[in-house]
Amino acid sequence: MNTFAAVLWKDLVTEWRTRDRAVAMLVFSLLTVLVLRFSHPMGALANTDEIAPGLLWVAYTFSSVIGLNRAFATELENDALSGLALAPSDRGWIFAGKALANLLILSGVQFATAVFFGLLFDIDFTPVAGRLALVAGLGAVGLSSVGTLFAAIAVRTRYREVMLPLLLLPLLIPILLSAVRATAVLLESGVLPDGPIRTLLVIDAVFAILSFITFEYVLDE
Amino acid sequence: MSSDSLAIFARGIEKRFGHVAALRGIDLELPFGRSLGILGPNGAGKSTLVRILAGLSRPTAGQLRIAGEEKDRRRVRGRVGLLSHATLLYPALSARENLRFTARLYGVEDAQSRIDTLLEELALTAAADRRVDTLSRGMAQRVAIARALLHQPPLLLLDEPFTGLDVRSAEELEVRIRAVRDAGRSVVLVSHDIERICACADRVLVISQGRVVHTSENAALDPAQLRAVYDRAAEASA
Amino acid sequence: MHESAIDRTAARFRPILGLSLVPLSVAYAVLVMNAPLDRVQGIIQKILYVHPAMAFAAYLGFLITAVAGALYLWRGEEQYDRLALAAAQVGVLFCTLNIITGPIWGKGTWGRWWSWDPRLTVTMLLWFVYIATLLVRSFTEDPARGARFAAVYGILGAPVMVLNYFVIELFRGRAIHPENLEQGSLGDGMGWPFLVGAVVAILGSLYLIACRIEVESLRAIWLQRRREAPDGGECT
Repeated sequence: MNTFAAVLWKDLVTEWRTRDRAVAMLVFSLLTVLVLRFSHPMGALANTDEIAPGLLWVAYTFSSVIGLNRAFATELENDALSGLALAPSDRGWIFAGKALANLLILSGVQFATAVFFGLLFDIDFTPVAGRLALVAGLGAVGLSSVGTLFAAIAVRTRYREVMLPLLLLPLLIPILLSAVRATAVLLESGVLPDGPIRTLLVIDAVFAILSFITFEYVLDE
Repeated sequence: MSSDSLAIFARGIEKRFGHVAALRGIDLELPFGRSLGILGPNGAGKSTLVRILAGLSRPTAGQLRIAGEEKDRRRVRGRVGLLSHATLLYPALSARENLRFTARLYGVEDAQSRIDTLLEELALTAAADRRVDTLSRGMAQRVAIARALLHQPPLLLLDEPFTGLDVRSAEELEVRIRAVRDAGRSVVLVSHDIERICACADRVLVISQGRVVHTSENAALDPAQLRAVYDRAAEASA
Repeated sequence: MHESAIDRTAARFRPILGLSLVPLSVAYAVLVMNAPLDRVQGIIQKILYVHPAMAFAAYLGFLITAVAGALYLWRGEEQYDRLALAAAQVGVLFCTLNIITGPIWGKGTWGRWWSWDPRLTVTMLLWFVYIATLLVRSFTEDPARGARFAAVYGILGAPVMVLNYFVIELFRGRAIHPENLEQGSLGDGMGWPFLVGAVVAILGSLYLIACRIEVESLRAIWLQRRREAPDGGECT
């Protein structure tokens, strides 16, 4: 637990001082929204409500890939990753600390993206803000847990920036499906749908537990 | 001697990276309170051996016991302090913050005063609150030394610790290495610097192509003779 | 040292598997040829005897990859990694064949190459996951580390494949893929060629896995001899 708090504190302080990761994620996320906005012919905007949930999650997913790639790049400088791997505790706690730091940063980016998205597409998220945050948070938990695990793998392969999405995206489909579905129902009716939320919870739990256990072997040499 | 009273007990340590054999069967015994120097040309397997002793890298084959601990890899890691080529420090954190972070990883008791003492001993007090990326190479190296000593490990592993240090800091490090040894703990020292190794080590191994090719005991440590062995090993591996 | 249990089993069963595949394949071909021609779909319906069989072999391969990967992490013995690698490579072959035969049938029956039906989607994702396990291995410099990465990925991939199926099923609009076997979608005279096809595909994939393991264990022995050679055995 000491390790968990230490790693979380260290990642957040580092991020606060450099701010490079959050800024890169945010700019990338906003650009994705912009690109998506222009990937639709002007006339088709009548059905924004239908495509909005999907577009929002595309922006979340791609910006999280950018951020996760940075999450371990900072550990490579001065071989700090070896310093972490030397810690005499269960390495799962290192994973948990880094994953929670990633989750907090991603949540901030999600919030800013949603605001920007709402303005650009003229959607008022305020009536469902709290419930939307819950759905976004549940999706982000899954994204950050497998994302952190795979970032630790990708960073020690060749073509690291390319490797992460190749590993991550195929396994994210169930999260995306459930999150998009939950978001769509929420925006349409203002009610949280049971099914997708339950599947998100199950997937989050499975991902978090398996990542916690297997992280030990990822840090080994 | 029972292997429990040894800081390092290693038998037949091998490490392969695919088709490359980095270590081909290393036997090593180091009692507490002794220091061991490891010499060898580039690519001899010195750093691989240090990373295995530190618990960072798993040997492909062989038996390894660190301070009596073999099975529980977490406890092995806790008994080792490592100073490697890289400083293992976070550039965006200050020297003190880096040490505080390390203290929490190792669960060091009374961390505050321990950190202050080390910073003072290593002449870092003035620079303690500066970010590591603003420190000179020599200062960062001294912070890295403090990092390795922080949790008072029974086994201290030093991989090229003199790089980046000026003459005075290097001499101080020599004194410190001897002090750690005299306090009943053990030191493994990897270096190219034969003179410094002879000054700090009770025993010297020469490694070449993943094997121990020469051992000198403290009584007979002779830099000139070691130089000859080293040159032969370097030639053989070239 | 390299002659561990899995290698021995592979070496023992490979000839038996290979020999039994000869008559089975002949019987399979005869059964498929003699199976009744579908009145509506015509000859293209005979893909039924090939396409699902490939899927069974692909799923089996991934199951073996995941279990062998977990055993490799737990026990650290190279033999499990050889099994995981062999099963992944053979699995990706069958998964590819399945994905190729599917659209041919789809175009003939549904009138289009692809549908986003749960089973199709999961199989495509499985193919991507397979590719990723093989890529992460080949993009990692130290083979032992690459093997661990692939094992970790396989362990996460397996439950996701199962989850995927249920999630897509849960949210699907409509499925046009034929239902499961126990619902009796096979007509008269179709049962035997279907069954024998499945047996041939599964035995065939096991045979290929055994071959692949033998190659890997021979390679391991060869490498060891090279390393132990008197000249130091540096491979350049």
